[in-house]
Amino acid sequence: MQQQGSKSGSEMEVTWEDQQNINTFSRLNNRFHDLDDEIKSAKEKCENLDDAGNELILADEEMVRFQIGEVFAHVPRDDVETKIEEMKEATCKSLEKLEEEKKSIVTQMAALKKVLYAKFKDSINLEED
Amino acid sequence: MSSSSPSGSGSDLTERRGIPAAKFIQDVETYLSQSGLDPNSALAFHQERLQQYKVVEMKLLAQQRDLQAKIPDIEKCLEVVATLEARKGTGEALLADFEVSEGIYSRACIEDTDSVCLWLGANVMLEYSCEEASALLKNNLENAKASLEVLVADLQFLRDQVTVTQVTIARVYNWDVHQRRVKQVTPTAIAAADS
Repeated sequence: MQQQGSKSGSEMEVTWEDQQNINTFSRLNNRFHDLDDEIKSAKEKCENLDDAGNELILADEEMVRFQIGEVFAHVPRDDVETKIEEMKEATCKSLEKLEEEKKSIVTQMAALKKVLYAKFKDSINLEED
Repeated sequence: MSSSSPSGSGSDLTERRGIPAAKFIQDVETYLSQSGLDPNSALAFHQERLQQYKVVEMKLLAQQRDLQAKIPDIEKCLEVVATLEARKGTGEALLADFEVSEGIYSRACIEDTDSVCLWLGANVMLEYSCEEASALLKNNLENAKASLEVLVADLQFLRDQVTVTQVTIARVYNWDVHQRRVKQVTPTAIAAADS
């Protein structure tokens, strides 16, 4: 987000309220990008767990090496299945929460954009470069 | 935590943990006459401030990355300790494959045990009972998460100050351009009126 001088070099009054709006927009924008990254990694994790679940169904060993921390523990197959289901549910729930937060941030940013563009028109640039 | 006050013209905080707050300027002309700075010096001052903020931001981001790497590590350790604790009563040994070196794994047979050893850093490893280890790790996790929260708040405060400074620079610059234009127009107008 940049502030650029307009062509008229206008004596545009910037009030404290405007500054706060700009600050809030900046914060939201940063949070939006962070959320994008978090959502990406949560989606990846979900996919990996799905793949792991499928592999498990195809495999016919009784003992599965399941990663706990840095080691692979020998765990009976059913326990692993349960564990993977739990992890999938937890990841999906957190993914949902993240998507919701992202939606709310997009709405807030759109509202702020309207307010700021109304006041500053060309003197402010709120788009991604 | 917000650094803004609802009614005042400046922030409530003049600094946060060593980071000076950027003062919001109500009116550029008043600011320049009060501080006795000409536009160029004012711009230079604020540019320098911006650089300083960037340096601090780099430092804080590095700390944030460290903490964000540390937290999953602690969580993994907690998981292992929890697994061992869960097996305690059963008397079964836990078979685990662990990495000896890159690409080389070996099998370990972990007997039913009451204690674990925790690596505390600085070449120190201590033996703890499972409950103590769990408590210690949970404590470390809480501290790391709390530090991360404070750090994130610091970064937000810093970003706000960066934004205020950027807006100030733009306004001082615009005011200066506007002043020069006005000065250019006036002599021309006088010359036209004279002729």
